[in-house]
Amino acid sequence: MKPFQYATALSPAGARELAGEDGAYLAGGNDLLALMKEYLVEPRILVNIKSLPGLNRVKPGAKVWTLGAGVTVAELEDHEGVKKVFPGLQQAAAEVGSRQIRNVATLGGNLAQHSRCWYYRHRDILCLKRGGDTCYARHGENKYHSLFTGNTCISPVVSNLSVALTALEATVLVQRGDEQKRMTLKELYARAWDNPTAHNSLEPGDLILAVEIPVRGGSSAYLQASEKSAFDWALVSCAVAGRVKGGTITGARIVLGAVSPMPYEAAAANDSLEGKSLDAETAARAADLVLARAHAQAQNGYKIPIARALIQRSLLQLKAQS
Amino acid sequence: MSEFKSNDGFSISRRSFLKTFGTSAAVAATAQMDAVAKELEKANAEKVLGPEPLPITLQINGKPMKVQVEPRTTLLDALRNHLPLTGSKEVCDRATCGACTVLLDDKPVYSCSMLAIEAQRRAITTIEGLAANGKLSKVQEAFIDKDALMCGYCTPGFVMSVTALLKANPHPTADEVRHACSGNLCRCGAYPGILQAALKAAGVSTTAKTEVISYARLA
Amino acid sequence: MPGWPEKRVYIGSHTRRIDAPAKVTGAAKYTSDVQPEGWLYGMILRSKWAKAKITKIDLDKALKLPGIKAAVLAREGERTVRYYGEELAAVAGSTKQACLDALRAIEVEATELPFVVREDEAMGDSAPRVWEDSPNAAAPHVNEKGEVDKAFAECATVVEGSFSTPVQIHHPLETHGNTVSWADDGITCWASTQGITSVAEGLADNLNVPQSRIRVLSEFMGGGFGSKFGPGVEGGLAARLSRQAKAPVKLMLTRFDQSLAVGNRPSSFQKIKLGATADGILRAFELESYGTAGIGAGGSTAGGGGGAGFPAPYIYTVPNIRVKQSSVAVNAGSARAFRAPGHPPASFGMESIMDDLAVKLGMDPVEIRLKNDPSEVRRKEYRLAAERFGWKEKYKTPGSSPGPVKTGVGCAGATWGGGGRGTQAEAQINPDGSIEIRCGTQDLGTGTKTLIALIGADMLGLKPEQILVRIGDTRYPPSGGSGGSTTAASVSPAIHNVCTRALEELQKQTGIADARGENWMAACKKLGLNPLVVHGAWQEGLSSSGAGGVQFAEVEVDTDTGFVKVRKITCVQDGGLIVSQLTAESQVHGGILMGIGYALYEERIMDRQTGFVLNPNFETYKLAGLADAPEIDLVLLDMPERGVIGIGEPVTIPTAGAIANAVANAIGVRVGSLPITPQKVLAALGKDKLTTA
Repeated sequence: MKPFQYATALSPAGARELAGEDGAYLAGGNDLLALMKEYLVEPRILVNIKSLPGLNRVKPGAKVWTLGAGVTVAELEDHEGVKKVFPGLQQAAAEVGSRQIRNVATLGGNLAQHSRCWYYRHRDILCLKRGGDTCYARHGENKYHSLFTGNTCISPVVSNLSVALTALEATVLVQRGDEQKRMTLKELYARAWDNPTAHNSLEPGDLILAVEIPVRGGSSAYLQASEKSAFDWALVSCAVAGRVKGGTITGARIVLGAVSPMPYEAAAANDSLEGKSLDAETAARAADLVLARAHAQAQNGYKIPIARALIQRSLLQLKAQS
Repeated sequence: MSEFKSNDGFSISRRSFLKTFGTSAAVAATAQMDAVAKELEKANAEKVLGPEPLPITLQINGKPMKVQVEPRTTLLDALRNHLPLTGSKEVCDRATCGACTVLLDDKPVYSCSMLAIEAQRRAITTIEGLAANGKLSKVQEAFIDKDALMCGYCTPGFVMSVTALLKANPHPTADEVRHACSGNLCRCGAYPGILQAALKAAGVSTTAKTEVISYARLA
Repeated sequence: MPGWPEKRVYIGSHTRRIDAPAKVTGAAKYTSDVQPEGWLYGMILRSKWAKAKITKIDLDKALKLPGIKAAVLAREGERTVRYYGEELAAVAGSTKQACLDALRAIEVEATELPFVVREDEAMGDSAPRVWEDSPNAAAPHVNEKGEVDKAFAECATVVEGSFSTPVQIHHPLETHGNTVSWADDGITCWASTQGITSVAEGLADNLNVPQSRIRVLSEFMGGGFGSKFGPGVEGGLAARLSRQAKAPVKLMLTRFDQSLAVGNRPSSFQKIKLGATADGILRAFELESYGTAGIGAGGSTAGGGGGAGFPAPYIYTVPNIRVKQSSVAVNAGSARAFRAPGHPPASFGMESIMDDLAVKLGMDPVEIRLKNDPSEVRRKEYRLAAERFGWKEKYKTPGSSPGPVKTGVGCAGATWGGGGRGTQAEAQINPDGSIEIRCGTQDLGTGTKTLIALIGADMLGLKPEQILVRIGDTRYPPSGGSGGSTTAASVSPAIHNVCTRALEELQKQTGIADARGENWMAACKKLGLNPLVVHGAWQEGLSSSGAGGVQFAEVEVDTDTGFVKVRKITCVQDGGLIVSQLTAESQVHGGILMGIGYALYEERIMDRQTGFVLNPNFETYKLAGLADAPEIDLVLLDMPERGVIGIGEPVTIPTAGAIANAVANAIGVRVGSLPITPQKVLAALGKDKLTTA
């Protein structure tokens, strides 16, 4: 890590002022400090945003829940209300890192974390994502990489929570300049789809304040497949949400993680389920539709059957939970 | 505190403390004045510190300890290299192995991935603080009893994780122990003993699956 | 020389590990924990090139940084670095932060040179040479016996298979490193080592200082697994930094460093052909293999870590064999001895092809082993393990398990030499009844200290806590390095001997016929003013070598996600006289867990474009965790008549083979490459290329 200054902000405006052009916001710090230890980012100042008022609150509501960006992942994992109303989010939170990580990791930090691509994360490799001119993963070791992308970088989004929140149709409240801006999850990652150097659509100085989740009724579920039993990144993750009544599903959302620079979904798949009986057959058909445009690299074709299995299983879990 | 409402009711405070309290107000040190002191502290908080070393005070195992560190110094670095508290180990320095686990207000965290400056005003418990009165904790006793260690380098971290688990959940299942300890690694492979030790410390009796059989008596 | 006591109270018991309290309280001081007065932090600058000519390294700017007290070059003058991570220079400073800044201030001028990091590419004639004056692939080692082609022609059944094993990294949790204090009167080195004496020798040689002036200490060390015998380049650098700074320097490697430069288990690529008679008797075996040990053989790697060879056809006796093995150099860190060097890859390949043969013959895998395994001990172990495991009920036709999540079972066997000799020890008995046993060995976490206390207690009729055990100091009588599972067999007889002689001497001096047990205090009191100090040494007849062992694995394989879960391991392990049951059990557990890592998770991944290790961390170099640990049913076969034999190594050998066989049994196809990841399972099932159902 390079030397830096440190300050605690008491308001979003203060945070922005303190951070200036070349500072960074510090919440849980898991990702930021790791990036700094490898000299991948070198902020002049770290601005502690954990004291911003309201940031650490889970605010239930009849129509919308507001989760402060500073709420820890452990709090989401342990929150009885979240577990009941948004089980898919709770399940995704429980799979984030380890207990030690979840105790400090925040909702905002989880959403804003950088790519885990091992070329991007390597201190001595200047890859496309870091501003170099080559995506090494394309011609190298890519078993953990994307099946879908809109640009030449094939590193996927790894935030568990982004996947669950996309399925829940959540909105992210972002402080941008003097404005507060609402972004859908899709908007939050849209730039990463198009632009190889982007991890998300946030501008410098942007601060995630909260996530708003509409209460749509129905249920949600999250599953991930990894190489190890615990504390491992997802090879593929899948979140689903929808209302299942009498075996029939409406408002289905199927979202995949770790296969694309943004939480990935296919409208055709969601639509295919509308008003259908949710069973192995309709689930399989939906999975095919989600994966129709998957483009495997040399080493990651195996993610396709995993994704298919997770889609089917999470849909059936959704049905069982309903 | 003055707040303005965003259109959904989510509140954001303006820099109200600075308006309410002057940064040079008298220091309130008595217990009754704690709340005021806290707010004052906050008021002073937007000051830019570093990058040079600065004095900080950490509450470690119930005692205030002063160190002079740069903002970039991690809590683990402060414990091990600026204080004589070497029980917490540096193994990966990247939040992946758990050997540096300490409790922050009773919750396990990776001290390698937290800045020391951020751990001020929190109750830090390290492995050295568990048997501070000379008597081993239940968890420590169980680790010895079940031989939940070999080289011992991961042991402080595991002991802290299990300690935190039992504080939050005194009667965990085996799966809850696995979940709680997933952030700790042991290269010697003492996991069977660690699982047994955690369950034993939680009051669950477990039976070892080892038998010694005389070769001479084998058919 | 009397044998081991007939009446054993503590030997073979479940007595607590004597240094466990220090380890659970954080009181245990490892090399990385010692803080001698005025100590400085040390760090190494490493090559950023897989191969390069280094023309200049400028330390001036680094030396001028605040807090920096010393900086040295790893080697003077122009040089060629041959792997990413090779040592270039080192700095010492008052804080970690100062060192980090200093490393970045060192200016290195280098010319990149062509490199090769993949074994298959390195074998090619046009591949860049790792060493300019010799081809990457060494001349193969050939072993031919009998009439192989004729025997194959006569076999009723012949199976062929390709198997591969990854480069595995030791990754002890305490990284390699030393805290060195170079003072006028000599050098004190706290070393995280498996051999305090070999560190002293290495430093003496490296620094041109008489060994008598070097004291090496290692009371607690955080694991080695074969990679920590010498002082290493890092030890020499720490010493030179200490001399320059005139202060103690603690130079522990980072996890990143650890992934590049301090040893690994060589890879293997094996083509095996095996032929048998219709009733399953092995007749012919052919192996062609290659693997890499990095840029070349490691430094002081007693135990055969130097090349990529391995024993074949492993534990089986086949009358007609043709074995051709080669090692190929690549631009990567050198191999070192790694827990049972050569054996895990040997076991994995051979045990895999044995099961393929059994399947082709329609035979039970245990049966075919009972027919071909020349070891009577191991045959008995197979029978016992099979019975405890419920093999007959669990073994089904490969792939016949219903549903997407399939269960399977498999087994494999191991052999290891072990044994050991040469240790000396001394005992000091004080008039107040206290006793100290001193031995220049080291405890890697295997329980050496505990073992000494248990033996001392039984020999003298005392309790283990009455024996003060002192190890890990070159001022104590010498012992060897702790490698090859030799420590228990080397140390135990020396402790037996020193206790026997101390007791004799005590009885002689005091005239008490039997000074043991309840007479101990009275006898000691009679010593008068001077303590009794007695020397002892390893003796013939109390230890031996050669351990077998078998393991059975039960796995679940999710054929939709490729995920493999090890449900259960049954292990039957022989190890002569069990000195400490508790620590022996833990060692077996550890061997199995490391074997699970080898089977399912661990692999050093090299990038062929940059020549870098892509996973120099625990995020993507994956170690088994608690949640990956299966139920373990362990039987220690007690053979006291054989004396003490080490078991640290054999217990990690058969795990991967047994798991691989269980996976093949579950899914009906062979995954011939370790680690068995979801990617490989799905590929074996032919699912990885499907885009739509």
